[in-house]
Amino acid sequence: MTGNKVVFGSRESSLFILNFICTQIVLGYPRDMVETAGTAGWIVSIYSTVLALIGFTVIVRLYRKFEGLDLLDIADQALGSAGRIAVGMIFLVYLVYISALVLREFGEDMKVIALTDSPISFIIMFFLVGIIVAAYMGIEAIVRLTALIVPVIFIGFLIITIGIMPYFQFGNILPLLGDGAGAILGKGSLKLSNFSAVSIIFFITPFLRTHRCMKTVGYFTISLAGVFFTWSVYSYLLAFPYPTTIEFFIPIYQMARIFEYGRFFQRIESVFLLIWAASALLYLSGGFYFILYVFRKTFGLEHQKPVIWSFAVLLFTLSMLPPNLTSALILETRYFRNYIWIITFAIPIVLLLIAHGVRKNSKKGGKSE
Amino acid sequence: LNNWKKTLGGWLFFKEPKKVETFILREDEFDKPDKEKDPGEGKPAGSREETEMKEPGKKRKNETFLLKKTQGQASREEKSERGQEKDKEKKENPQKEEKSEITPELVRNLDFMKKKYFIPSNGDVMIREFKITFKDKVIDAFMIFIDGMTDRKVINDNILAPLMVFSNMDIKGNDELKQFISNRLTPHNQIKIVEKYSDVIDEINFGGCTIFVEGVDAAFTADVKGWEHRGVNRPNTEQTLRGPQEAFIESLRTNTALVRKIVRDEDLVVENVAVGMRSKTPCNILYIKDIANDSLVAEIRTRLKSIKVDYLRDSGELEQMIEDNPYNPTPQLIATERPDRVASMLTDGKVGVAVSGSPFVLMMPITSTDLLHSAEDNFIRFPYAMMLRIVRIISIFFSLLLPGVYLAITNFHQEMIPTDLLFAIGAARERVPFPTLVEILIMEFAFELIREAGIRIPGPIGPTLGIIGALILGQAAVAANIVSPILIIIVAVTGIGNFASPNFSQGFAFRIMRFGFIFMGSLSGFLGITTGLFILGLVLCHSKSFGVPFVSPFAPKTRGSFAADVLKLPLWKMESRPDYLNPKDRYRQPKISRGWTQRGEGEDDDDGE
Repeated sequence: MTGNKVVFGSRESSLFILNFICTQIVLGYPRDMVETAGTAGWIVSIYSTVLALIGFTVIVRLYRKFEGLDLLDIADQALGSAGRIAVGMIFLVYLVYISALVLREFGEDMKVIALTDSPISFIIMFFLVGIIVAAYMGIEAIVRLTALIVPVIFIGFLIITIGIMPYFQFGNILPLLGDGAGAILGKGSLKLSNFSAVSIIFFITPFLRTHRCMKTVGYFTISLAGVFFTWSVYSYLLAFPYPTTIEFFIPIYQMARIFEYGRFFQRIESVFLLIWAASALLYLSGGFYFILYVFRKTFGLEHQKPVIWSFAVLLFTLSMLPPNLTSALILETRYFRNYIWIITFAIPIVLLLIAHGVRKNSKKGGKSE
Repeated sequence: LNNWKKTLGGWLFFKEPKKVETFILREDEFDKPDKEKDPGEGKPAGSREETEMKEPGKKRKNETFLLKKTQGQASREEKSERGQEKDKEKKENPQKEEKSEITPELVRNLDFMKKKYFIPSNGDVMIREFKITFKDKVIDAFMIFIDGMTDRKVINDNILAPLMVFSNMDIKGNDELKQFISNRLTPHNQIKIVEKYSDVIDEINFGGCTIFVEGVDAAFTADVKGWEHRGVNRPNTEQTLRGPQEAFIESLRTNTALVRKIVRDEDLVVENVAVGMRSKTPCNILYIKDIANDSLVAEIRTRLKSIKVDYLRDSGELEQMIEDNPYNPTPQLIATERPDRVASMLTDGKVGVAVSGSPFVLMMPITSTDLLHSAEDNFIRFPYAMMLRIVRIISIFFSLLLPGVYLAITNFHQEMIPTDLLFAIGAARERVPFPTLVEILIMEFAFELIREAGIRIPGPIGPTLGIIGALILGQAAVAANIVSPILIIIVAVTGIGNFASPNFSQGFAFRIMRFGFIFMGSLSGFLGITTGLFILGLVLCHSKSFGVPFVSPFAPKTRGSFAADVLKLPLWKMESRPDYLNPKDRYRQPKISRGWTQRGEGEDDDDGE
């Protein structure tokens, strides 16, 4: 009759992770891809999706024997509490770093788009209020709200990209291979980091029912995110000539600006502000919740609510550190989006391999005794 | 304000939360044994008005009886000791005397009742002393009842006349006095012999009369309720064009009968529960035994029984005592005055609670989509119902967001407004000295004033308010350049949108939240509106109504569809009951519910059935 264990369905989890990955589309993903491989940016999206699927397959195979455990539990099993704290701290730094950056970027984007006269700290406060309330409400409420809002966000995204079809010039994506195969395969490999949010799956395993559920969520999310990524870059490239594409720092906003439907509806990009802000709030709420979750679990705390305000202040302070939007973008694209795959893909694989070894050894030890 | 330090401390400092297991309605709960079940659970209530409302008394009696049986001899030995202790307690604590047993001494009983009811200060509590003849002996007796709550004719003809007149006739049989009075001298359909003062008081307080007789260690209570109540009338707050036009009244048994009349199912259970430590207000839990989830019924029963208030006056009070999230702005129960709506929800697997004295029955659990539905939806053809529901959804957006969005667009996103419209708004606002926020607040507050005054104002002066309101809100405010004409339109559409909400409580919630969105919109345009919606969404997603997530069937996703729950499907397509209720019987009707469409199979298309 009673029981308070939170469990999500595959649909809710998939949409939650999908939003986590795809928020980058609003932030500047299409431009980043164009910068990576020129007019072949959309091929980089496909390539990085394939890499992410391979990486996920490896992790999922290794994860089979650890059903219901998250990465911290596995670190604890493999390396003891010191290992758990080390892994926890790495992921904590990663989550705080990206959340603070995204908070700043969204704040700056809002300032550029609509709130030109408002101070950035004031704009960021709105996001903070949302994520603090979300942290108090808990993961169940966040995931359920994600399941309600994300379909609307993606419908909005499709409306923009399909609505600008009259501006598509197929000559814009030529040459097809852009900066060349070297750029696609070389620099493109680093773009595996765009799927770094997949690592959240390894923390929501206790909330998922089975290993099978985790697999379904992972494959579905990566594939769908790959489709959205590719479509966003492809439509961006088709709508604007290459030299222009590397100039815009909020590509999707520029696409929305040229969207026109009759004489009456000419400048409706502000309507899309609603869905972008919603996407940002969901992303930041989820990220913030997992910051608290990882912190609590790493240090074996019983409750996480007492540290909500402390981490909110920390996030706010860190987000105010970059002097301007460009610095924030550099911090994200140049460093984070190139190397973060080491934390989100390589560390879980290494950790799972060690955990497998430890398990085998302990079994052998048990048998010999 | 007295506890401001505590309140501030509560916000700033963390308090270790108590570990409370919340109720979650799960599937197949009905397979488990129900610990909360009453011994009398499942038995329908009595045929006449609230006569069996004394469940707690009955239970206590049964428990004592069982105790006596099992403990047997040992208990008998202890009895005398306990009796002495009781007398001691009585002397020490006169309040406990009420629970003690009735004595055979009439004078003592009379004194007790007089003391209890403050007689003669209490003007409406009547004591009638008289004499009964039994085997040539004249025995003193008295009757006590509350004038106005009882039926005088029944008391005179069926209680007093037989006792005073028929007792003089020849006695046949060898009945003792107690049995003789009960079996032969009180020709009334509901007579009970009670042995405790507390039971006597409960009966008298609820329109019964009690007879005490010299030498009898019990009292005879008769159900002679006869207070004034209004007749069944048309609904006031849930009017419809199609469908039944009956509404509940303040009489509990009439209300349950109105539901039974529609459901006509022997599995409909009307279970008695008394709520209120002093008032012992009779309440009924209504559910269909083979549809409603047992754990849900048990949870509602537990909540009702756990309530410790002195008086319960109305279902509105009960609603506040049993809802899951008191801080959620939207209602988590539906209070309806329509028996047909109650019947419809009961057949879905929901559970109802009727309160004596309240013309509204509470239905639970509900989800956010239930608040979009009206009683009429099932009585009109589905395309019409679908259109009405779409209108209601739009009306919700208007009532909640329109002023906030207007502020956001005019202050932050002017580029969205087509040029011609922008000129029109600019020209209208040209001579208005206030910023848009102040303008909106003035108008919204004036509108709220008129609404509140409209309810409080005595009927004959009602039209005056309309004239004043229309003049102030309409012409004068614009003529004086205090507000712009476009704002009048915004406020009016918001108000009309609010009136279109099918649920009164929900309308209230939107009225309050609208101000929040006005402030958010004025602070940071669409970002503020989105943050507000996000927080509202979180609160709704976090909420549960009796273990059912409030945003079901969308999050979490359960069986059911947007078309069925938000829009409307044809009646013959509504095969299954709401999945989130986990009913025992999942299906309302078979896949092919219109048998005639199968006549000469293959000849005619079934429109997709």
